[in-house]
Amino acid sequence: MSRTLHFEIFRYNPMDPDSKPHMQTYYLEEKDNMTLFLALNEIRETQDPSLQFDFVCRAAVCGSCAMVINGRPGLACKTKTKDLPDKIVLHPLPVFKLIGDLSVDTGTWFRGVAKKIEAWVHTTKTFDPNALEERMDNDLANEIFELDRCIECGCCIAACGTARMREDFLGAATINKIARFYIDPRDERTDEEYFEVIGTDEGVFGCMGLLGCEDVCPKQIPLQDQLGIMRRKMAIASLGGKVGKLFSVFSKKKK
Amino acid sequence: MSVDTTVESFKGHRLAGWLDWLQMLTGLTLVCFLFAHMLFVGSVLLGAKSFDFVAAFFERTYLAQVGGPILFFLFLLHGFLGARKMPFRTKEQKLIVRHAKMMHHRDTWFWVIQAITGAILLVIASIHMWTVLSDLPITAAKGAHELETGLWLIFYLLLIIVGALHGCIGLYRIGVKWGVVTRAKRTKALKCIYYLIGVYVVVELLNLLRFYFLKV
Repeated sequence: MSRTLHFEIFRYNPMDPDSKPHMQTYYLEEKDNMTLFLALNEIRETQDPSLQFDFVCRAAVCGSCAMVINGRPGLACKTKTKDLPDKIVLHPLPVFKLIGDLSVDTGTWFRGVAKKIEAWVHTTKTFDPNALEERMDNDLANEIFELDRCIECGCCIAACGTARMREDFLGAATINKIARFYIDPRDERTDEEYFEVIGTDEGVFGCMGLLGCEDVCPKQIPLQDQLGIMRRKMAIASLGGKVGKLFSVFSKKKK
Repeated sequence: MSVDTTVESFKGHRLAGWLDWLQMLTGLTLVCFLFAHMLFVGSVLLGAKSFDFVAAFFERTYLAQVGGPILFFLFLLHGFLGARKMPFRTKEQKLIVRHAKMMHHRDTWFWVIQAITGAILLVIASIHMWTVLSDLPITAAKGAHELETGLWLIFYLLLIIVGALHGCIGLYRIGVKWGVVTRAKRTKALKCIYYLIGVYVVVELLNLLRFYFLKV
């Protein structure tokens, strides 16, 4: 029947000089279909109005409520309490800047990497607002959409051992994003130009295959497969010259 | 990202890719050798004579005298390339262990195991290669004699376990990183890796025991 949930929640307000990082205990009666998002709101409403955490959409679309749930990064709104043990330990996502308690700033980080990889369609064509939109093959559109589903919640970055050790590592979401532009025929960047962006130890060659990203992504984006594909493409691009041309048969960009 | 304006950097901008190729290829070669080594040494299971026959073949064809040092070089190169990814600062080491504990995630632990076994291998596999290659020819009698002191038995036990873990997990990780082991194939690949570790450890343990009880 109904359980009493035991919450251990990380508390710290970096803006308050008197605040020290500590874990705070809360107890809450579990309700039917309770998600962590509902539980946290109830704690805030009935027990502690000072508890900070983020949420907007409550439907796994906005990515705001990502936090470390019993050790694993995940979305509070998508996590049902019935799938968790009686004791629930919550931490803010590591790597990102802490705003307070469970709230972190993922936006600045994602904007930074998006600028690094120039996450926009690079084209020489001038936009004609009166022209009909160019048609795209449906399968290709679906393929792009599959990667575009990323909500930038930051779970994959927080779950990545490399990202935690090396501050400048781009991370799975970023490499997935470049993969999205890579298969988009409207983006005219060449393999060589993509290599300039992610063909480094901070980019795709920095990935050590720990698969934390793959195993926590709340949207089940095929990160493992995309990292493999991009590493292969960039490794072949790194050969350059005749060898690279020989290999490039296997890595032709869809255009 | 700061801009490196030294002239050399423009020439060497593909370096990260080349080093990644090298790390993978040296690793793959070493894993292949590891299993070939298991089979060569396995000839001792048929008796000292067959082991000596195989060993003599490698010396007659100069594979031991030339191939050995080349392999040693590849081994050191692989160690150097792998070390670029390893946490050397205490802060990083603490972080990755805390991260692995926090995540309670198999593949993250795999990597921690691989980093530790890699560091151990760099020392003990070097010792092994040095003692074997600096005292040719290789014979079953020498192997048996060596094991008479208990310390070498412990040394080889460690070498077998550490080598099996590093080699097989490394093979899995190459598959994952280069997109051969895809999401769909991951469970199957892991199963294969567990079997490989098992086969290697069992066969090499049998080899070791055979040497230990060998009367020559």
